Amino acid sequence: MRILASLVVIAIVAVALGVFIIRGPGPLDFAGGTKVALADYRAAKPTGVPAKLEKASLVERGEYLAKAADCMVCHTKPGEKDYSGGLGFKLPFGTLYSTNITPDKDTGIGNYSDQDFLNAVQRGKRHDGARLYPAMPYTSYTYMSDEDVLAVKAYLFSLPAVRAKAPENTLSFPFNQRWAMIFWSAVFNPDTRFAPDNSKSPEWNRGAYLAEALAHCGECHTPRNLGFALDNRKKFAGAITAGWHAFNISSDKATGVGNWSDADLIAYLSLGHAPGHGSASGPMGEAVDHSFSQFAPEDIRSIVAYLRSVPPVPSPDLPATTAPVAPASHKDGVTADARGKKVFASACASCHGWSGESPVSPMATLTGTWAVNDPAATNVAQIVLSGTKRHTPDGALSMPAFGNAYTDDEIAAVANYVTARFGTKGSKLTAKDVAELREQTAE
Amino acid sequence: MATTLTINGETKSFDAPPEMPLLWVLRDILGMTGTKFGCGIAQCGACTVHVDGKAVRSCVLPISAVENRAITTIEHVGSTPSGAKVQKAWLEAEVIQCGYCQSGQIMSAAALLAATPNPDDADIDAAMAGNICRCGTYVRIREAIKLAASGRQS
Repeated sequence: MRILASLVVIAIVAVALGVFIIRGPGPLDFAGGTKVALADYRAAKPTGVPAKLEKASLVERGEYLAKAADCMVCHTKPGEKDYSGGLGFKLPFGTLYSTNITPDKDTGIGNYSDQDFLNAVQRGKRHDGARLYPAMPYTSYTYMSDEDVLAVKAYLFSLPAVRAKAPENTLSFPFNQRWAMIFWSAVFNPDTRFAPDNSKSPEWNRGAYLAEALAHCGECHTPRNLGFALDNRKKFAGAITAGWHAFNISSDKATGVGNWSDADLIAYLSLGHAPGHGSASGPMGEAVDHSFSQFAPEDIRSIVAYLRSVPPVPSPDLPATTAPVAPASHKDGVTADARGKKVFASACASCHGWSGESPVSPMATLTGTWAVNDPAATNVAQIVLSGTKRHTPDGALSMPAFGNAYTDDEIAAVANYVTARFGTKGSKLTAKDVAELREQTAE
Repeated sequence: MATTLTINGETKSFDAPPEMPLLWVLRDILGMTGTKFGCGIAQCGACTVHVDGKAVRSCVLPISAVENRAITTIEHVGSTPSGAKVQKAWLEAEVIQCGYCQSGQIMSAAALLAATPNPDDADIDAAMAGNICRCGTYVRIREAIKLAASGRQS
């Protein structure tokens, strides 16, 4: 009996230790300063809306915060009404559909009380008590203040109710067991509100709140641990999310954003492009269009100040420096893949040029971008497959989607050619890799 | 918004939003319809013009990007040395069938010869692959480019 009891104790300690090790630090633990409760922080208000909206109505404040939290991109299926849900997330174990968060009483959140909404956003708990999957980034939103969450609710409830029922999820066993998320949440959701750091500037605290609680940068840019939660030991070190490479945004000088100027970071976030660093595409492009481009300038600066403080974590899969401009003539430089060159000559060269510096727009310049310098060529293949479109102050610039025009084999060939010619190391994509990338992309 | 561009050596001023593609300005505002609209997404080459001597697809080129740069269109390319050679060779080799893509083909060929006076087949492929011809005049296009480069025109 005593032996059994001690075995049980050992097992419990081992499991607890394992959970503790897997869970690792929280998203703001790196800062190390003394945290104070939001109510006790007097230096400034890190939560809420920027000064120009301080006097605005609850709904207007909620709109700013909903955009800052980028709710719409996931909760809207392209072509359908805003916030009416139904966007499919293709996961290795099935497809998960986003929900309707318009105030429709039957199919949306029209019946949610304030407490219901707080439970969903901060704790991943649905109105009917069922658990949400962490595709909904409630482990980030949990840091939002109650006041801000309820402002978002007021905004959503001011919108027209849309009757739209999302398709049933097609997750396989055991992932279709929602109740199991109770344990996941208990381990991985801190269920705590943002606590300002007294040792840091008000600007840093505002940036930390925006980046962690609202913009949820880490959900794409931080690698995941064994439990599919964020591994903050490698905070912002880059990860593959929804079939795209969300690159390293830690302060690492070589492979992160440590060498980007403030102006570069501000331009990239607010316009989707920084000279010499390329243009935001895929999920980051959507984040710029619907979220960051709507931020007040001082909020963008706060995020930049915060990003600067995130410890450097190198990405071993990326080269230490990006490749210089390729030769102007098609004959010089790397010509690794004859088929890729053929596709490039007919479909790409007229806008991107043989040197990688676009004759059309700096936004189409390939030189210096991580996409072409990533030897895995993930984002090159994705952009070729699905195209990209950015709205800039000078109008929209777009690249057509070639996914239906070229075979997987041709797309692999052109990605291999592009990374060899304009990057540091050519990729070795196969048709099978491209087929898999097609599968992983959200709708 | 008032914009001023230098087209074929002349200064042209007009009202257009900065994001408007150069092709629309040429055809719809300035009435210069020699440059053709094909696909609208830089995939066919029919809209090719020269910007500072380089072949560029005007259908995706916002006018804000070409202020203070020298734009040449098919209406004027005959007065450049390589353009004159290309046009002559085009007539001699009877390149054209329906003709819709040909202003773009000629602009791309003229830019090629200006940069590479004696192109080989690979150079022609690299410069001309983005110009599509539904009539399939590719054989004669290649022949005419070589003829223009050789200076053996009658």
